[in-house]
Amino acid sequence: MNQISRRVPLVDGVAKVTGALRFTADLDVEGLLHCALVFSPHPHARVASIDAASALAVKGVHAVFWHENTPARYYNSSIWFAGQEALADERMFAPIVRHVGDRVAAVVADTEEIARLAAKLVAVEYVSLPAIFDPEAALLHAGLAMREDGTPTFMNPVAYESFVRGDTEAGFAAAELVVETHITTPRSHHCAVEPHACIAKPEPDGRIGILSPCQSVFAVQAVVVQALGVPQEQIRVTKTPIGGSFGGKAEPILDPLCAFFALALGRPVMIRYDRHETFTATRTRSSVMGRMRLGLSSDGRILARETETLVDFGAYCTGGDYLPSSMLQRLVRLYDVPAERYRGRAVYTNTVPAGAFRGYGSPQIHTVAEITLDIAARRLGIDPVAMRLRNLVGPGAIEPWQGLDVGNARGRECLVRGADAFEWEARRQMGTGRGRWRRGIGVASATHINGCYPGFHEETTATLKLLPDGRAELVCALHDLGCGADTTLAQIAGETLGLRACDIAIVPADTDTCPYDLGTRASRMTYICGEAIRRAGVALAEAIRAAAVLELNTEAAGLRLEAGAVRRQDGSGLALSDLADRLVARGVELPAATETYRAQANPGSYAAHFAEVEVDRLTGCVRVTDYLAAHDVGRAINPMLVEGQIHGGIQIGIGYALYEDVALDRITGVMRGNSFSRYTLANASEMPPMRVVLIEEGEPTGPFGAKAVGEIATIPVAAAVVNAVNDALATELTHLPLVPERILAALG
Amino acid sequence: MRMSLKVNGAAVETEVSPISRLSGFLRDVLGLTGVKEGCCEGECGACTVLLDDEPVNSCLMLAFQVAGCEIVTIEGLCRNGISDLQQAFLEMGAVQCGYCTPGMVLAAEGLLRANPNPGEAEIRHALAGNICRCTGFETIVRAVAAEAAARQRAGR
Repeated sequence: MNQISRRVPLVDGVAKVTGALRFTADLDVEGLLHCALVFSPHPHARVASIDAASALAVKGVHAVFWHENTPARYYNSSIWFAGQEALADERMFAPIVRHVGDRVAAVVADTEEIARLAAKLVAVEYVSLPAIFDPEAALLHAGLAMREDGTPTFMNPVAYESFVRGDTEAGFAAAELVVETHITTPRSHHCAVEPHACIAKPEPDGRIGILSPCQSVFAVQAVVVQALGVPQEQIRVTKTPIGGSFGGKAEPILDPLCAFFALALGRPVMIRYDRHETFTATRTRSSVMGRMRLGLSSDGRILARETETLVDFGAYCTGGDYLPSSMLQRLVRLYDVPAERYRGRAVYTNTVPAGAFRGYGSPQIHTVAEITLDIAARRLGIDPVAMRLRNLVGPGAIEPWQGLDVGNARGRECLVRGADAFEWEARRQMGTGRGRWRRGIGVASATHINGCYPGFHEETTATLKLLPDGRAELVCALHDLGCGADTTLAQIAGETLGLRACDIAIVPADTDTCPYDLGTRASRMTYICGEAIRRAGVALAEAIRAAAVLELNTEAAGLRLEAGAVRRQDGSGLALSDLADRLVARGVELPAATETYRAQANPGSYAAHFAEVEVDRLTGCVRVTDYLAAHDVGRAINPMLVEGQIHGGIQIGIGYALYEDVALDRITGVMRGNSFSRYTLANASEMPPMRVVLIEEGEPTGPFGAKAVGEIATIPVAAAVVNAVNDALATELTHLPLVPERILAALG
Repeated sequence: MRMSLKVNGAAVETEVSPISRLSGFLRDVLGLTGVKEGCCEGECGACTVLLDDEPVNSCLMLAFQVAGCEIVTIEGLCRNGISDLQQAFLEMGAVQCGYCTPGMVLAAEGLLRANPNPGEAEIRHALAGNICRCTGFETIVRAVAAEAAARQRAGR
């Protein structure tokens, strides 16, 4: 092994660290027009009239768009391919706005300054409609979201999922302890430091080229086609570098508008949201109200569990109808629960839409389950680590809902080795202290998926081709969101070809030049795309050896690829660049290999996180003072990047536990946490020192044994921190985030 | 209005609008797109530049306020190839998406110029105004500490 398990720096790192990398808003496009949007100040209202005359009179304004002069086509921003069934409830500009921040109109002008000035002059008259902000109340208002003719689009609850296994009543009857909890998780925001941006430009052949920092160029294409009603081949999408996403840029929000304006005006157009707009007019994590009932034996075995979830996905469905089943899928692959009952529902409210956010329901459901488990452990007087060990699934377990094999599941090793490294036992003996500051420790386990199997087209096609200079070109519609996927996957390709990661030239994701791929989502890059690339690499290596056999007039046996050359057993051989030269000189096509990998499994990634907190009983402020994360990653292709994913996941999770909430006003629907000054993130000073323990037992179905880490990194964090606070204060706090007001209220 | 200043070592004599932000001026007029915009209200630090060796949020200043001063952007930091601090960021995994990186590197450079031997808490405090959503700051702090130690050893 040469490239695997190595701390290879990012292949695109020099461009990033020197600032040379051009993000979308940095691009220089000839004749670019700029755009500013008008957003609804009302949570639910009919747009009675729009007078654009004053805005159009401003010098430099090219057009004003609203619902009357844009396509009246409904679409869903969360489709991933053409023809995907989804609740189409969104329009470019709605005649009936459904949340504060909904899109009403747009001004396109020579500069952003002019566009923003003119947008203030668009006169809009609204007729207010009743609005619902509370998800439980929304259950009673079935036809909340309406089309302009007054017909309800879809009925609350929009999604419903249920599951029953075994006899829960018998389980509860036999239980020594039954615990019931009511847990709420907040609407948190992705806070990628790059605000949303998109450019669309008309091409001479009548097509529209879209430059988008996205998670799937094909998803962008599918949504734009649905929104505009144009043929698919008219839309070309190219991925631009992305300044963080975390799911926030998974759904094309600006792209349909941008493409339509470029088409209508025959000029390139850029839309760039400012920070306030990125908060109020993109997506958030859905909030969940969870009720859990847990029946346990005296030694901490789970005998029965009942779970109810209510998901608030806001004003547009997007992918929210998948959440009740997604949460179920992740819930049932962590513990061996003999009797299980689950009911999940999802509703519309007149609030900012929810969407994908790192973990897609997993942080919500594991937060509910892991806080409940800790409350039970405390009431039973059992060490929460020991109690988890008693219930965790192990290798080869079959989860009961879809019947999927969880693979080489090493959740137990995460707990055991993590607890050891954290000195859990010793810290437990130390107690919480007696004064103003109380110390507590918390643990939480979690699991997550590896890709979309058995759903969707869970497959990837990768092509690797020898280049004339001896490097290799990789075509695979890759979307690196900053996690280092390009580097990890180049290491996998390099390993198979005897090349370094930096010798792999990755073709940017583009609908014109790359085969279809689902994109970067569902923790599928390393596990799915990595396996496709590994297979393509193995096939290309074989093709290169075959070509070398002819060129070197030698035996195939013993020929190997290493250090950019093809070599005989005695070490003699030919540099790949020389081999390519000879082939080119003879007019032979350079070796290439294409492999399509269709997933055959969806193993679980597992983790156990350990947090220590200090709580100030006077102010209610919590400080995380120490943190350790143990992760079952199969094998770390690049340990530095794996640790980086975990570190970043912890930052998002600590915020989820303690600070982060867009804080939608229950009376007006206005978002209070709509800027970095009003939405608190853990900064460098607030972050604790972090340690990572990697469990590398190998996943047989993953490339070189690897499985996913990107999403699971953030999943157990909030529960570990909340459990530590409850340990410190001997409380049973269950409503996140644990802002000082909530802590002080619990202390009386 | 006309003003003269020094940007990345070169004298600049230019016409500037009295309401132009420094960040916009650097990006749009001088084409220095290594200056990133993340919030335009001084909360994220992506637009950090060095103003006479001191890190400032360039979105919170008007361009004319820096008349006669010296500005260093990320483009100026690597005029002679990639700097050791940037190399430390790369090798220690302190870069992920790269959007906050130019501002973060300049905030760190400003710290090291003012305090060549910072402790961990001082590094964290100096970077508290720069948001990174990818790394949890862990490797960034390590990279800055490593570079500080290397400068101490080399007597730089």
